[in-house]
Amino acid sequence: MRALGPGSVSSFLKFVLDVAYLALLVGLVGVILLAFAALLFSVNPSLLDNVRIEPAGQFPERAPVVIAGLLAAGGYMAGVLVILGALRRIFVTLTAGDPFHPANVGRLRLVGLMLAALELGRYVLWAVSAWLPWVREVEPSFSLTAWFSVLVVFVLAEVFREGARLRREAELTI
Amino acid sequence: MPIRIRLDAMLMQRRMSLVELADRTGVSTANLAVLKSGEARALRFSTLSALCRELGCEPGDLLVYEPGPEAPPLDDV
Repeated sequence: MRALGPGSVSSFLKFVLDVAYLALLVGLVGVILLAFAALLFSVNPSLLDNVRIEPAGQFPERAPVVIAGLLAAGGYMAGVLVILGALRRIFVTLTAGDPFHPANVGRLRLVGLMLAALELGRYVLWAVSAWLPWVREVEPSFSLTAWFSVLVVFVLAEVFREGARLRREAELTI
Repeated sequence: MPIRIRLDAMLMQRRMSLVELADRTGVSTANLAVLKSGEARALRFSTLSALCRELGCEPGDLLVYEPGPEAPPLDDV
């Protein structure tokens, strides 16, 4: 199977990345709009008179939780969007035939940091939700896979750093 | 880098331009400019051989060792 060009694995991955990026972008805009609407309704509950929300009548009291939840979802989506954006830029260098571009080291480190931040954010969300009286079932979970992914990405970033150094050395070998 | 290439002096002695040397050796002018500026990290035997052939000199005439600090590492990414 070809590495680059039409019908290759990388072109398929690029397509998947582009679709996921766009879908997430649309989702993020939706979540931001929802959070804005929730904020608007919490400030002025009379706007809800013509809107029916189940369970009925509970929205104004729970508005801060709903808004916080939407913001958390928005934050998570923004984090994933940053990761996808970095991966897309890495793919641009790959399709240009220059995957060991020095900028990719920073991009991979950013991906690793975002993965770690998303996982930590999950713990913070769990800690906060365990605190709330409405939330009955909170199941804390420590994902070893997530931390393993962070480790893998940082190892790959180091591999790319060495690749970028070798590339520069090759450039300066006349 | 303590190793210096005396490309300027050799070209001047032979009244040859960098472009002409590039044409004769098949090494690009950009790469010859890197050699001339002292930025190069390594020199292939094939390049050295082409330079010696066209300039009519020995490798020792082209390369000079001048004690000094080593070039900084390339991994400052």
